[in-house]
Amino acid sequence: MSGWFLPRHICCALIALLGMNVAVAGVIEVRVVGSDGQPVQNVAVFIKQAGVPSTAGETPEPVVMDQRDVRVVPHILIVEKGALVSFPNSDAVAHHVYSFSRPNNFVLPLYKGTPPAPVEFAHDGVVTLGCNIHDDMLGYIVVVDTPVFGLTDEHGSISLSVDDAASNYEINIWSPRIRDSNDPLVQSVSAIPADDVTFKLQKSLRPPHDGQSESVGWDEY
Amino acid sequence: MGRVLTTAILLAVLTVTATAAEIVDGHEAVFGIDAGYLSMSGHPSWTEGSVGKLRYQDDGVVLNRAFVDYNGRVADTLKVHIALEGYDDNLGSAIDFTQAYVEWRPLPKSDARYRLKLGAFYPRISLENVDPGWSSRYTLNSSAINTWVAEELRSTGAEFTISRRPASLGGAHTFSVNLAAFIGNDPAGSLLAWKGWSVHDRQSRFSDDLPLPPLPQIQPGMMFEAQDPYVEPFQEIDNKVGYYLNAEWQLGKKLLVRAMHYDNRAEPTAIEQCQYAWKTIFNHIGVQTTLPGDVGLITQWMTGSTVMGPVIDSAHAVDVEYAAYFALLTRTFDQHRVSVRYDHFDVSQNDETEEDDNSENGHAWTLSYQYSYSDTISLATEWLSIKTHHYGWVYYGLAPMATERQFQLTLRVRF
Repeated sequence: MSGWFLPRHICCALIALLGMNVAVAGVIEVRVVGSDGQPVQNVAVFIKQAGVPSTAGETPEPVVMDQRDVRVVPHILIVEKGALVSFPNSDAVAHHVYSFSRPNNFVLPLYKGTPPAPVEFAHDGVVTLGCNIHDDMLGYIVVVDTPVFGLTDEHGSISLSVDDAASNYEINIWSPRIRDSNDPLVQSVSAIPADDVTFKLQKSLRPPHDGQSESVGWDEY
Repeated sequence: MGRVLTTAILLAVLTVTATAAEIVDGHEAVFGIDAGYLSMSGHPSWTEGSVGKLRYQDDGVVLNRAFVDYNGRVADTLKVHIALEGYDDNLGSAIDFTQAYVEWRPLPKSDARYRLKLGAFYPRISLENVDPGWSSRYTLNSSAINTWVAEELRSTGAEFTISRRPASLGGAHTFSVNLAAFIGNDPAGSLLAWKGWSVHDRQSRFSDDLPLPPLPQIQPGMMFEAQDPYVEPFQEIDNKVGYYLNAEWQLGKKLLVRAMHYDNRAEPTAIEQCQYAWKTIFNHIGVQTTLPGDVGLITQWMTGSTVMGPVIDSAHAVDVEYAAYFALLTRTFDQHRVSVRYDHFDVSQNDETEEDDNSENGHAWTLSYQYSYSDTISLATEWLSIKTHHYGWVYYGLAPMATERQFQLTLRVRF
């Protein structure tokens, strides 16, 4: 009966080996709070594993950035480097979408209805989108060099899963409304489960561009 | 009645044209009609050669306007904009142009945008008239300021715009400068000085003859007998180029501020084809914002002067200063919109010319309710009251103080 068990010292060695080679996944909870203590929604959050380059792999299905009611919807989109983004036009009027954000700059022809072929975003960075006909239209695509990303919810929070709880991570946040810095704000964490990672902004937010107000018009015919 | 018929036929043709135009890619046309019932009280209308500040002087069913607003993309960065208005009145042809220009919008290579307009267009003043056909989004009748813009101002020339939305400010701020150089528009100021401010929905077209009141000084044997009994506001008289410079700041969808200096640089003693040149200069400020509770606030303020004729005792024969402002509050509730506007206006006089007292002051209240049944059809009802002191009205046997009122129930069709 006892011969069924492995000798104790071999058993210990095996456990040690497993501990070294098999990472334990973890969850990082990120929260963004404004200088007024209010949660900040729609902040792009992306987490990089320190010292580990991203392994942008297969090209996924195109992500959609719509043009609806003369607005870019969603106002902020976050995608991994190499992603394809398609730009349908749900309006009855034509749009002329462009970006001057090098090296991801692009121009789509004037169109309505069927969109042109999706655009590949091969470089990380923030891509500012506009419409050359409707100057007030504005959108952002945050292209990130990691598969771990998302946008904060109405509570200013997002939970992101990482592969290795024991590794060091670099947590980045970016929003056009954040005045503390135009580059992403960064915090590093080294132990998971750590406390929730909270970004407390020092400066008040810029007003949102995608306001829902219909009482007055902001774009002339 | 024949005129109504002509208008109707022309409108039918325009409808077909407009519908056909939409089929072709890159060409968009909006066709619109405002028509309904109207009831008013007050002095006989300026449009009939009198002094009343309203457009109509009889109760009844009216066809306020029919228009076609065409935007054609001749290339991805080149737009043609043509606006035609049809009116059932005797001030010009049934249908005529209000604006016609091409606009070049090169693709931005940085956060700076460059625009160039060439043709005939409205100077960048109104914050109300932002819908197709230069329609006000908020009321049926424009404010006193924008009614004057519609009556007498149109720039024929070039407008160059630089605007920047700096990335360093998170794209929240847009700064723009518009510089225009234009010819024509030398008689602008005639109506403001000799008739005064008005509140209505009529836009002057390029071949309109706008009636003046029977001013004592334009009668035979008087100082300005050479003046036609009407004004052609967009004529070139003195071959001098006018300009305006406008600066704008927009903060998200929260705040828009614009400020303009305008000078038509007219030669005040020039006259051609029975139309005088009036040197018209003004400054304009417009502010638009969203207040708490999603209430929109639009306010514009304008002050300036217009002079005409030889200098007599240190003032031109007609030398007036004018100012006006309004504040409009508006709120949408789903398909409903409620707007209220207060206008104040005045004209003061520096010259001593006899029998030409052009000074006036007054204010107006406008209450408007619109119901949008669909994108095509909306119904608007509007009550308007204008109280004015205008001393020169005694020349025409009219009381120098009047409260004019108008009630409208109007169907607005757009397709």
